[in-house]
Amino acid sequence: MRASTARALTSRIARGCQGRGRGGARSGFRVLASKDEEFSPQLQSTKLQMYHSFTRQFSSAQPICGHREALAMANQNSDFPTRTLPSILQKFRGFNSSEVRMPDVEANGGIVEIPLAQTGEGIADCELIRWFVKEGDMVDEFAPVCEVQSDKASVVITSRYKGKVSQILFSPGDIVKVGETLMELMLEGSAAEVGLSKGEPNLSTEIQSIAESKAKSVKSEDGRDHSSVLAVPAVRALAKEHGVDLASIVGTGKDGRIMKHDVLNYVASRENVHDDIQSLNETPLHVKQAPETSEPSVSREYTPVPAEPSRSVFDGADTCIPIRGHRRAMAKAMTAAAAVPHFYYVEEIGVSKLTEMKRALSEGVPLEAGVKLTHLPFLIKSLSMALKKYPLMNSVVDEAVTEINVRASHNIGVAMATSFGLVVPNIKNVQRLSVLEIAAELSRLIHLANTNSLSTEDITGGTITVSNFGAIGGKFGMPILNVPEVAIVAIGRMHQIVRPNETGFDGNEDSERVINVTWGADHRVVDGATVAHFCNEWKLLIEQPERLVLTLQ
Amino acid sequence: MARRPPMHLLRLQGFSIFHQLKLEERLLRTTSQNWCLINEGTSPPAIVMGISGKPEQLLDVKAVIRDGISVIRRFSGGGTVIVDENTVFVTLICGGDSVPIPKLYPRPIMDWTEELYVPAFRSIPGFQLREHDYVFGDRKFGGNAQSITRGRFLHHTSFLWDYQDARMAYLRHPDRAPAYRVNRQHSDFICRLKDHLPSREVFVDSIVHAFDHQFSLEETDLDAIQKTLTDVPHLNSTYVLSTCQLEESLTQKQ
Repeated sequence: MRASTARALTSRIARGCQGRGRGGARSGFRVLASKDEEFSPQLQSTKLQMYHSFTRQFSSAQPICGHREALAMANQNSDFPTRTLPSILQKFRGFNSSEVRMPDVEANGGIVEIPLAQTGEGIADCELIRWFVKEGDMVDEFAPVCEVQSDKASVVITSRYKGKVSQILFSPGDIVKVGETLMELMLEGSAAEVGLSKGEPNLSTEIQSIAESKAKSVKSEDGRDHSSVLAVPAVRALAKEHGVDLASIVGTGKDGRIMKHDVLNYVASRENVHDDIQSLNETPLHVKQAPETSEPSVSREYTPVPAEPSRSVFDGADTCIPIRGHRRAMAKAMTAAAAVPHFYYVEEIGVSKLTEMKRALSEGVPLEAGVKLTHLPFLIKSLSMALKKYPLMNSVVDEAVTEINVRASHNIGVAMATSFGLVVPNIKNVQRLSVLEIAAELSRLIHLANTNSLSTEDITGGTITVSNFGAIGGKFGMPILNVPEVAIVAIGRMHQIVRPNETGFDGNEDSERVINVTWGADHRVVDGATVAHFCNEWKLLIEQPERLVLTLQ
Repeated sequence: MARRPPMHLLRLQGFSIFHQLKLEERLLRTTSQNWCLINEGTSPPAIVMGISGKPEQLLDVKAVIRDGISVIRRFSGGGTVIVDENTVFVTLICGGDSVPIPKLYPRPIMDWTEELYVPAFRSIPGFQLREHDYVFGDRKFGGNAQSITRGRFLHHTSFLWDYQDARMAYLRHPDRAPAYRVNRQHSDFICRLKDHLPSREVFVDSIVHAFDHQFSLEETDLDAIQKTLTDVPHLNSTYVLSTCQLEESLTQKQ
């Protein structure tokens, strides 16, 4: 487009839009839609963009038509065929005379507003740290334009479009609310870019300057003067939506520009004032007791509030404990284990002989300082011996349940309840250890657990778990697997039982020490028969501990 | 087993924190790979400030100038720390497609790191992410900061293996302190990892082991990294504040 043609066109549009409201805009559009000019498709596109530029500048002027009417009018004009309409117009869906929907790309002389996008859920604002561009710079699509800080994160904001920075609206150190316009970008290929050579007037700037001067001189519908008020179109639309006179607002932006938050703050303060006034005028809730008359009381009666609170049964306060860290790990681990189909197998195991042997060995065998020879090392060694015959019980299974990893090492975990919480360290390679060595290792792990000093090595790599809750109390348990292991045993407390002899209870009954054990197993990979056979083998070794001698290597 | 994305692991000891931060910024902005940097200690002691924040509000500037402590401005957000030979630095640099985080927002990233670290601190009860800090109960042992850029993020932590109270005195009580601090003195608010774990080696091994659950770690070294890095211009936000700048901040305060 030649500069002279552009200036003539601008002048005609300006004259056409001098009237107020709808008529002016309609007149302007007719100028744009007229067919008595030899407009190229490129110029037709420019005309439409210019039309929108003017309609948006007038806060009182509603677009006279939606895209449908624009299309209808355009179709009437053979020089303005629909196929030349810019693609941006196609985005104006539901665009009617009473509602303006802001498209992704504003046809405002090719100027788009770049807002501060959401940088996190619940984050309402960010601090602007620095700009990487300045007014007049060209930016590429996805190029960084600024950096903000939210929470403890620095976030680089990039441009969605390619164009020239026309205006920067915040300074480093400013707090920017999410959704506020950070800067304005003149799109590449917009009206300002079309057919302009170096030195020629910038059409977009000229249109804007005309529009701004019009904005300054045009009075609003209520007759107040908007002179000297600077605000981008989106802010003007927001003010109009809330019925706010821009002249009443003090702008906090550059050069006194009214920002979006200025309007919102003004609206909020106005509503607070209204609430105060309303509360003063409301009938008080506490109504005096109605006099005893035959007439019904009009005012509401409320149950009188006692002067002092009633005495509570107890003075404890609710406590809210966030499930984080160790607790969350526990919750997740148990949730994962809950997804595993467990089955349980319960057995009673005699430990009288084992108790006798343990007592005899404890008296004669020198032990390291701090090492105790309890039942547990024997139970653990017996467990390992049984695992040699039923190695499937010493397995781990992958999350997808595609393979069973039968472990060669018997890393038997022992659940320990400490003052710091529940931990499950494991004794490595029990198959290679003697009962004494197991006892020593157990003592070492107990000491570390009680002093909160277990290492990663101690608490990882387990293959099967023993939970000796009977040391505290209880006969039976339903243990939950320590995934990805496939088996776990819970050992109840040792107790005495009396078994009747063949003739019944005649005073000569034998009493026996027993423990109840409950096996929990992953039914996806282990069946009941395997667990039963395995438990039988283990039970045999415990009830007849001399058999351990047979398996010595 | 789910596929574990690859991650390069760089282990350093006593590496300059300034050069570490420069390297981190370069890896974040100019590469598309996943990285884990672990640096055990830095010398001499230094103060590291977040991307924003005024020295006069956060530091005893006069003491800092008097004692010649370096003040470094880093490219990530967050607050101010003093680091020395007893600080263990752990940094994660990831692409968004390598982590199970739908949106690269600060909070989801932090929650994900908490889960990542759980196996490393399994033996210590009370581990959790509390507001923005790693704590045991209500005692902080690690502070965090992030930098998020298009499709990638960096999350780094300075763990207090041990610390000297005298050095902590360079830091002022920040205006924005976490709610759970409840006006406690600094010494009552933080704790030492060495009081909870047998050795620094075990601690670092625990972290590597924990990360290995989610990533396929491949150990590398500085020379190998330098050879692969291209000389691409990038945002360079890490710098040392000069004495003039620090003195100027005192003027501004007044």
